[in-house]
Amino acid sequence: MELHVLIVDDSPAMRSFIRRVLDLSGLEVGRCLEASNGEEALRLLENNWVDAVLTDINMPQMDGEEFLRRLAEHQVLRLIPVLVVSTDRTESRIQKMLTLGAKGYVTKPFAPETLRDELEHSLGVVHGTE
Amino acid sequence: MEPNEIQAALAAAVEEVLETMYFSTVLASADGAAPSEGGGAPAITVKLRFEGSPSGGFRVSVPLTLARVVSAGFLGREEAEVSDSQAEEVVGELANMICGSVLSRLQSDATFQITHPELTPTEPGVGFEGAGANRWFDLGDGILTVSLELGQTV
Repeated sequence: MELHVLIVDDSPAMRSFIRRVLDLSGLEVGRCLEASNGEEALRLLENNWVDAVLTDINMPQMDGEEFLRRLAEHQVLRLIPVLVVSTDRTESRIQKMLTLGAKGYVTKPFAPETLRDELEHSLGVVHGTE
Repeated sequence: MEPNEIQAALAAAVEEVLETMYFSTVLASADGAAPSEGGGAPAITVKLRFEGSPSGGFRVSVPLTLARVVSAGFLGREEAEVSDSQAEEVVGELANMICGSVLSRLQSDATFQITHPELTPTEPGVGFEGAGANRWFDLGDGILTVSLELGQTV
């Protein structure tokens, strides 16, 4: 089954890197949407269903924290597993993002297999509760 | 914080980031300003600030030729396909990740706010004026230089 994902990061280079890692991961990636901040991501999600979202934290306009809050308030979008991908390794930040609803947290730099494993884990959490 | 502790953190962070996400290997590394070879060549220099405990600044300088090599590795493209703006952006990401890694090694339990990387016209090999730690890394295709300045705790 193809996996449709949304990558949210204000850096086009980082989005491109994550997309490449997903392509190389062995996961069957179908549609791969991209947004440069949380606000743009929410607009995309209004009309496009994805199986997972990978998001940065520090972004202009709407950061990752607010993005997670807005997803959690939404009756349907809250079902999409979100994986945070960030340079911030502090435990307090990780716990905060998980509390806000993230299913996983990957710190940059990350090995391609780490991203794949975390993404699979996040998807597994959702599958397990259906 | 001891100078050798900072140097060790710089070395480990740069090697981790380059090997994990840029598929580049460090051939040699030492503290201080970079060897003069290639001095004056066009370079991309990026700086950022961090606030926390402690606060400070961080800078990465990469010759343009090396920036294209590491950008090609990061983006999965040929060097010739990498534009100057893409190389600048990739060096910015490199600075961001190295800085985050260094800070977590120096203060694993502290929370830092890192600003977005900014391009700066500084020549390669030139560190922060005044107190600061400089270290250079030979990647074969050129020398990358990093500078860390630890300021006052906020």
